[in-house]
Amino acid sequence: MKSIFFTGKGGVGKSTLASAAAWQLAQRGNKVLAVSLDPAHNLGDIFGKELNYKKKKLAHNLWLQEANLDRAAQEYLKQNTELLTQVYSYTRAFNLDMYFKVLRHSPGVEEYASLLILEEAFRNKDGMDYIVFDTPPTGLTLRILALPNISVTWIDRLRRIRRDILKKRHTVYNISGQKDGPETVLPYTEEEDPVMQKLNEMFKRYVSLYAQLSKKDSNYIAVVFNPDYLSLRESQRIIDGLNDLELPLRAGFNNKYTSELSPQADEVEQELFEGKDNVVVNRVPLQEYRREGAYEMDHDVVTPILEGVSNSG
Amino acid sequence: MSGEEEQGTEKQNADHSDEGIFGKAWRYVRGFFSTMDTAHRDNAVELTEFEARELENVFVLILMGSFMGLPSPPSSLSVELLPHLEHELQVLNRRAERSSDALAEVSSLLDID
Repeated sequence: MKSIFFTGKGGVGKSTLASAAAWQLAQRGNKVLAVSLDPAHNLGDIFGKELNYKKKKLAHNLWLQEANLDRAAQEYLKQNTELLTQVYSYTRAFNLDMYFKVLRHSPGVEEYASLLILEEAFRNKDGMDYIVFDTPPTGLTLRILALPNISVTWIDRLRRIRRDILKKRHTVYNISGQKDGPETVLPYTEEEDPVMQKLNEMFKRYVSLYAQLSKKDSNYIAVVFNPDYLSLRESQRIIDGLNDLELPLRAGFNNKYTSELSPQADEVEQELFEGKDNVVVNRVPLQEYRREGAYEMDHDVVTPILEGVSNSG
Repeated sequence: MSGEEEQGTEKQNADHSDEGIFGKAWRYVRGFFSTMDTAHRDNAVELTEFEARELENVFVLILMGSFMGLPSPPSSLSVELLPHLEHELQVLNRRAERSSDALAEVSSLLDID
């Protein structure tokens, strides 16, 4: 299974190129799933179909899905609240139920919900050959992609503290032994401690998610931009962000290109990709206006990504 | 441990009601040393237990930093660990209750009167 991410500033044509890529891949006989992670979905509009959080088959070999972040976040929180009320019978004493209500709107939940959707897609139960992701605006996309990395760092720190705690508990147990009475022995080995177990499990999940995202030969990240200054600046931020996260950028699509804009296009491309020889640069000509079927583009957007062929200087 | 010891001693009392003076003396000596042993062990771990509690406190503080405006890890970590943190939350609560008199806690730990 391979995945392709289309990132870029709002309005540059991420969704259009993502749907074109999905369509072209499916035409070539691959099983393709196109997922929109953008809360303001366009995928359904482009394909002229009402979509929701479930996969919908559009054509032979092509499935579409519009991720519902709100729903995913709520489902996730509900699961955990249920577990919580099972474990604590006195959640109210801690005001934890309030905490959970507020948590829905706390920063990070939306990113996490997107991550859950990514994970689910990567699990690839239906044996897709390609998964094409249409991403939300730059800021959110970068935060989503950063989350596995950040989480791994946090978990690593937490695990260190936890290990110290367990060591100390072990010492206490070794010296004073089992005590009678209301005091129960706290878990002191990594295998018995549920917190450590949970930390280890999360660590594994995030590491594998990050591995999937950073694999050069199976995850392609493409940045879409237009030959203008604003999208240049934002694309630069995306490229820098990906660089910080050590995620590989595969391709840059200079979308809505016309020959009159050639000098501008040259300038933008040069600024973005100078010294980045491994990034494919592809110019996508401005398409005719049409209300339907924008995904049926003559321009080939798949080959540049898969085979690494540039069509400009 | 001390409870078990006492029970054991009572049992011995019942079984060995006709023991000689040496037997009795031996039993008392053993009891004395075992109590001393327990006391010393408890003394020895007091500091380590305190350290463990402090670490537990720090652990949950870091995890639930958003409660009090500390920079906190991604909420998903707090949320998923929360069900397993009963003990740590109790420690945190107790610690918070006593926080106004931290000096007393430290001085009692170090046996300063």
